[in-house]
Amino acid sequence: MIRWDKRIKLLFLLPAVIWVLALTIAPLFFSLYLSFTDVKREVVITGVEEIPILDKDGNPKTRSDGSIRTKKVKQKELQIKYDWVGFKKYKRVVNDQEYQDAAKFTFIYVIISVFVEIVLGLFLAFLFNRRIYGRGFMRSLMILPIFATPFAIGFMFFTILFEVSGPLAWMGIPFLSNHNWAPFSVMLVDIWQWTPFCFLVFLAALQGIPDDLIEAATLDTKSAYKIWTSVILPLLQPIIVLVILLRVAESAKLYDYIASLTKGGPGTATQSVSFLVFNKAFKMNDFGYASAGSFLMLIVVMIFVMLFFTRLRKTYE
Amino acid sequence: MINKVITTFVTLLSALAIALPAVAGKHVNWKDDGTVDLIHEDGTVINITREQLGAAYGPDEKPFEGETITVLSLDSGPKGGISGPLYSARPIWEELSGAKVELALVPFADLYSKMMLDMKNGTGLYDATITGAFFYGDLVDGNYIIPVEDIGYGTPDYGQWSYDSIPPNLRKLHEWNGVGYGVMNDFDGQVFYYRTDAINNPEMAAQYKAETGDELKVPETLQELLQISAFFNGKNWDKGDDETDYGTVLHLKVGEQGHYHFQSLSASFAITPGPLDKYHGVYWFDPDDMTPLINSPGHKAALNFLKELHKTGPAAQIGWSLGEAWDVFLRGKAVFTFSWGDVGSLCQDESRSNIKGVCGSIAIPSSTVYYDHEKKVMVETDNPVTYGNTTGGTWHGVVSQFSENPEAAYAYLAFMATEPWHMWSAANGWTGVDPGAYFNYLEPNGTATMDQYDAYGWAPTDIQMYSDAYYDNYTAPISLEYLRIVCTPEYWDIMDKNLSAAMSGQKTTDEALDDTAASWEEITDRCGRDRVLNMYQEAIGYNQ
Repeated sequence: MIRWDKRIKLLFLLPAVIWVLALTIAPLFFSLYLSFTDVKREVVITGVEEIPILDKDGNPKTRSDGSIRTKKVKQKELQIKYDWVGFKKYKRVVNDQEYQDAAKFTFIYVIISVFVEIVLGLFLAFLFNRRIYGRGFMRSLMILPIFATPFAIGFMFFTILFEVSGPLAWMGIPFLSNHNWAPFSVMLVDIWQWTPFCFLVFLAALQGIPDDLIEAATLDTKSAYKIWTSVILPLLQPIIVLVILLRVAESAKLYDYIASLTKGGPGTATQSVSFLVFNKAFKMNDFGYASAGSFLMLIVVMIFVMLFFTRLRKTYE
Repeated sequence: MINKVITTFVTLLSALAIALPAVAGKHVNWKDDGTVDLIHEDGTVINITREQLGAAYGPDEKPFEGETITVLSLDSGPKGGISGPLYSARPIWEELSGAKVELALVPFADLYSKMMLDMKNGTGLYDATITGAFFYGDLVDGNYIIPVEDIGYGTPDYGQWSYDSIPPNLRKLHEWNGVGYGVMNDFDGQVFYYRTDAINNPEMAAQYKAETGDELKVPETLQELLQISAFFNGKNWDKGDDETDYGTVLHLKVGEQGHYHFQSLSASFAITPGPLDKYHGVYWFDPDDMTPLINSPGHKAALNFLKELHKTGPAAQIGWSLGEAWDVFLRGKAVFTFSWGDVGSLCQDESRSNIKGVCGSIAIPSSTVYYDHEKKVMVETDNPVTYGNTTGGTWHGVVSQFSENPEAAYAYLAFMATEPWHMWSAANGWTGVDPGAYFNYLEPNGTATMDQYDAYGWAPTDIQMYSDAYYDNYTAPISLEYLRIVCTPEYWDIMDKNLSAAMSGQKTTDEALDDTAASWEEITDRCGRDRVLNMYQEAIGYNQ
């Protein structure tokens, strides 16, 4: 028997539960279902009722030949047939060269951009973790990119990297037109926007390390490198793991920069999995492929996340 | 003093009101001479006869009062291509008809899915869609659109326009098996643009002669085009600044319009001239069994040619959309481009163009070599015929089977298809509506006059060449067949990606086109080979 106050608590929770069920869990399972089915959708018109169109005085409207204008209201029946096809769609996705290329690009993109963001973020946090003139202002300035819309940033970088008359045109680098350079251009945008996030979190973590701990360490060694590697980095490790997790999960969803900067090109050089499945779903109406492709990606990211959590748990047990 | 000013003002207003005809709305002025002035928000006036406008409309006749229609279209904004004219027409037609028009505008990438979701579910959210002709396969296959004859076409009630005013190559994009579904609007096809001042420059002609031994002239073949383009590329022949200029500028960005360049250009390499049969006049597939032809030696020669042509322009154009490429040509930095009709009309817009009056156009020259699909050999010819194309969307309206007000939806589309309205759209570059109807061409090919184009600010030399180029293109004896089968977006998507990969060096020509062919086989099997084959044969008019 649940007590009355507990019931009230459950009642208050109900809207949130319904929200999550309706807008997250249900679409997720429906998408999973779609990845195992072939959907055949057909609208059958079962009847047409012709109703005269009336003017404001209630009289039927007529055409120039005197015939009455009518409104055709159609009785229709939507017939949807779901055919279970097992792993057929997954097989198609796995064997699809385009998906393989997209997965390869996404993997390389995530590894490089997250690595650079972590290293740069740590470095900047280290620089700012001391009393320097204008630190507050500089810190505020540095985190501005986080608040910008990725899609808009893509367009901004399209202008910056414009090879004919953009501000970096003097470098003569084919930022967007060469299949070897374009992936790095997209990574550059990600690094530009998300290094400040890493910096901010690391700076907060660094400032949370008690001074007396560092002072104690300096009694043992004068080597700043040793203090960093033996004291500071181990203390930062949980935060680093957390940042890596967040960034990997976010980077793996890469879509906006691609859509506004390269459209996945040249060729398929910058086509991410998210971009590919989005286009399959919304440009080709191929929701089965898109669902299967998304779930494969989800599985890979989940394996990665589980590995990290396992590592985290081991660290603290 | 103030009283005097107010009295004068009121007197003037009263005089103006008396001087105006009896019925003058904000956007529609019914004149006593039997014509009607359609007044845009910006004050531009289009004069139309009552007959052209349609008998259903009148000063006291609002045939669709109380009805609301929703039109789905590409979103380029109120002053952008395709959606712009919808915005312009809306208040005028609302005043004429008494109906309300809702515009549902979406990015290009979302148009197909929005349209098809509505159709497949039978929701009827959109009464009409401004569709690309490449969606016809899906629309007709599902019986999702209404023949225009069922909703007012051919009656005197609504905007007067006719399929007879469209050249056959374009007309068939609005029909299926001889039944009309589309209401004419935009006509797409690519022609070749060149700088007349550069080609006619004696100094450049002398240099060209010295370098190549040939006379500098408007290219008559693609091979000549390449040679001239290479000559101009990297020289500062447009002396307006210190920058070097380009030969040919293209828009090659993947996911956009890059593959259309290949389609238009490759036609004369890949199509064996002759009346349509298994080997002649075909471009996409073997019409007997849907074997892809995209990796034929002709297509491969065309792609190699396109790669060479790309080298005579900015390397960055691999990542360029229409806007960037057009901008380079309009600013006078490239001697050649080939693209849609928008370029010709944008040349006249001096806020964007430095080349008004020197913007020449011709139908795209043909290659001197082509592939003979029957004999399986490349053939050389000294006098290649002109290959026309209807490359692009030919964006026009179709009315949904699930519309509750199909006649109103048709009437709105028909209003924009009337000759005066269409001339206004086609003559203004920003509308994205390109010419194609006979009344768009100058006499003697069509019925338009120089005065009409002069009124829209066209340079006489430019419009003459432009009109002739489009006429030649749309009435060419051989035309690149248009792909209008189910799954067309899928076929084009993979082709686009592979072409871009080849252009950027990610794949070789052979790899790119062989991969495309392999993917097409898979798509055909998945979409149903018999079903697709049947549609392909119907779409191109092939009878075994």
